[in-house]
Amino acid sequence: MAMLEVDNLSTHYYLAKKPVRAVENVSFTIDKQETLGVAGESGCGKTTTAYSIMRILPENGKIIGGSVRLGEEELTSKTEEEMRKLRWRSASIVFQYAMNAFNPVIRIVDQITEVMMEKEDISEDEATKTVAALFNEVGLEPSRMRDYPHEFSGGMLQRAIIAQALSCDPKLIIADEPVTALDVIVQNKILDLLRKLQKKYDLGVLFITHDLSVVAENCHSTAIMYAGNIVEKGTTSSVFKQCLHPYTYKLIGAFPSISGPKKRLEFIPGTPPNLLNPPSGCKFHPRCPFAEEICTTDEPEYREITPGHYVRCHFAGELNLEG
Amino acid sequence: MSTTENILEVHDLQKWFPVRSGILSFFRERRYVKAVDKVSFNVAHGDSLCIVGESGCGKTTLARTILRLVEPTGGSIFFRGEDVLRKNREEMREMRLKMQLIFQNPYEVLDPRLQIRTLVGEALSIHNLVADEEELKNRVLKVLEDVRLIPSDDFAGRYTHELSGGQLQRVCIARSLILKPDLIIADEPVSMLDASIRTEIMNLMEDLKREYGLTYIFITHDLAQARYIGNQIIVMYLGRIAEMGPMEEVIQNPQHPYTKALVSNVPIPSPDEERQRIMLPGETPTPIDLPPGCRFKPRCQDMGVECGDEEPELREVSPGHFVSCWR
Repeated sequence: MAMLEVDNLSTHYYLAKKPVRAVENVSFTIDKQETLGVAGESGCGKTTTAYSIMRILPENGKIIGGSVRLGEEELTSKTEEEMRKLRWRSASIVFQYAMNAFNPVIRIVDQITEVMMEKEDISEDEATKTVAALFNEVGLEPSRMRDYPHEFSGGMLQRAIIAQALSCDPKLIIADEPVTALDVIVQNKILDLLRKLQKKYDLGVLFITHDLSVVAENCHSTAIMYAGNIVEKGTTSSVFKQCLHPYTYKLIGAFPSISGPKKRLEFIPGTPPNLLNPPSGCKFHPRCPFAEEICTTDEPEYREITPGHYVRCHFAGELNLEG
Repeated sequence: MSTTENILEVHDLQKWFPVRSGILSFFRERRYVKAVDKVSFNVAHGDSLCIVGESGCGKTTLARTILRLVEPTGGSIFFRGEDVLRKNREEMREMRLKMQLIFQNPYEVLDPRLQIRTLVGEALSIHNLVADEEELKNRVLKVLEDVRLIPSDDFAGRYTHELSGGQLQRVCIARSLILKPDLIIADEPVSMLDASIRTEIMNLMEDLKREYGLTYIFITHDLAQARYIGNQIIVMYLGRIAEMGPMEEVIQNPQHPYTKALVSNVPIPSPDEERQRIMLPGETPTPIDLPPGCRFKPRCQDMGVECGDEEPELREVSPGHFVSCWR
C-alpha cells in the first residue's frame, strides 16, 4: 500500500471572497523509497499541494475537498493540535531558500534540537548527540553545529536543513525546490545526498521543482501540473518519452539541453491562466494547438490511458505528439 | 592595438574590491576580493558570447566593469576601437547608448508608476535623440512591435502591473533596442522566467539580433541556456577565465578540469541517459587570499607539480579555443 495517498485534493485561496482555484482535484500516491517529482510553471499549484498536505496554508487558503492519507492517518480532518504532533515526525518539509529557513540569530544546533525536544520526549544532551550524528550523515562537520547560519555556505545550509528534516525520523519528506538556488555542482551533491538518505531511511519523497531536467534525472515518477491540475502523471520515463498531454510535450520541448543536436526550441504561446477566473473546459485550451470544440466546453477527466499513466486531456492517446 | 572587426576588446581587466576589516587593518596589509582578475577577451561583431560560471565567479562584475558601472582597477577596454577608460562622464553616457545592459529582474528595473510608452521612450527624450513628439511616438510603437508586444498602441498605454514577467522583459529589451545599440549585455535575462516563456524570449532575442545587427554578451549560470543562445563561451572560475572558445567545441570537448566538471553536472531533460559525473571536492572559496599557483588547484582532480607555483596563462589548444591550465 502506498504510504501517501492524495485523492481529489482541492485547495482554494480566498481573495476578497472570490476563490482562487490554486489546486483542483489532484490525486497521486507515493510509495516507500519512491520519489515523485511534481513539475510545472510558477503558479501551477505545486507548492500549494505541498502546503495542503502539511496543512501549513496561509490563513486565506482552505482545503475544500478531497483527502490526504499518510500511512493510516487522514490528515485533512485532523485538528491543528493533532497536526502539530505529526509535522516533522510523520512528514517534514525542506524549503526552497536555505538562507531564509533558519533564524539568523540562533545557533543551528539549537534550532534543530528545539524541534526535537518539542516533538519528542528527549533531553537536550540526547538531542544534541542526535544532531551530531545527523551532521555526519549529511556530510557536515559535527564541530560546526554551533555555528550561526551566516557562517554556512548555501550548500551547507541546505544540508543542515535536510538534517533538520530528518531529525524526528519522518516517513515522508516534501522537498520544495530544494536545489533551485544552488550551483549545479553543489546541486548534484545535495541530490545525491537525498537519494542516499532516502534508501537508508526508507523515505517517500515529494519533490517539487520547476526544472524538468532535475526531475528527469532524479525522480522515479513524474507529475506535471498546469493551472491547479495534474495534467499528466506516470513513471518518469513514460512521461518524458511517451508523453500524452500537449502541455507536457510542449514543456519538454521548451527545455534546452547540453546534449543532442542543437535546434530551435518551441515555446508555448500565451501565459498560464488567471486562476481567479480560469478558462472554461480544459484550462489549457487557449494555448493548445490541438484544441477543438469540446475542449472549450467540457473539462477533461483524469484518465488512466496505459497502466500507471494518467492524463487529463480529451484526446489523450489520439494525438500525434512525435518524439 | 585594436582592430575594427572586434566590437569589444578587453585586455587584462581587473577589479579588486578592498576588504573592509576591523580597526587594526591600518597595520595590516590590505586585502582584496579579486572579483575580476586579469581577464582578456575579444568579441567580434555579430557574436553571441556567453559568460558562464557559478555564483561569485565574477561574471556580473565583469559585465558591469565593461560598462564602467563599477570602475575597473586595472586593464583596458576598447569598444569599437575607442578606449572606454579614457572617456569622461559625459562621453561615457553617450557611449552607453551603444552598449546597453539588460538586467535579470524586470520588476526591479521598471518604474511601476510610468506607462510603458514613457519607460520605452525615456532614453530618447533624455538624450534629445528625437525631433518631436510625433517621432518619439512612432519609434516607441515600432520598437514595441519589434519585440512582439502587439497591438503596440495598446501596450504603450499600459502600466507594468498589467503585464506578465515575460512581457516586462520584452519592455526592457525594447528600452535598449530603441537606442539602436551595437552591443547588448544581458545579465541572466531569462532566469526569472518560466520555461515556456524563457524559450520565447531567447528566440526573440535571436531574431532581433538578425533584424538589428546586434552583438550580445550573455551572462548566465546555466550551460544549457548558454549553449542554446550563444556561439562563443567563456567559463569563469574565481574571477579568471578558465576556458574560452567556440560554444560547441567547449561543451563537447572541454579541456579545463573545471569545465569538465561543470558540463558533466548539468542535468539533461531526458531520463535513463547514463552519464559520468565528475564531482569536485569542497565548494568554491571566496577569491580572497588565493593560494599561489593555479586557483583551481585545491579542488582539481588532475593536479601536478607545475600547478603549485605559477598561475597558468590562457593558451590556445585548438584554433580559438583557450584554456588556462598547465596540463
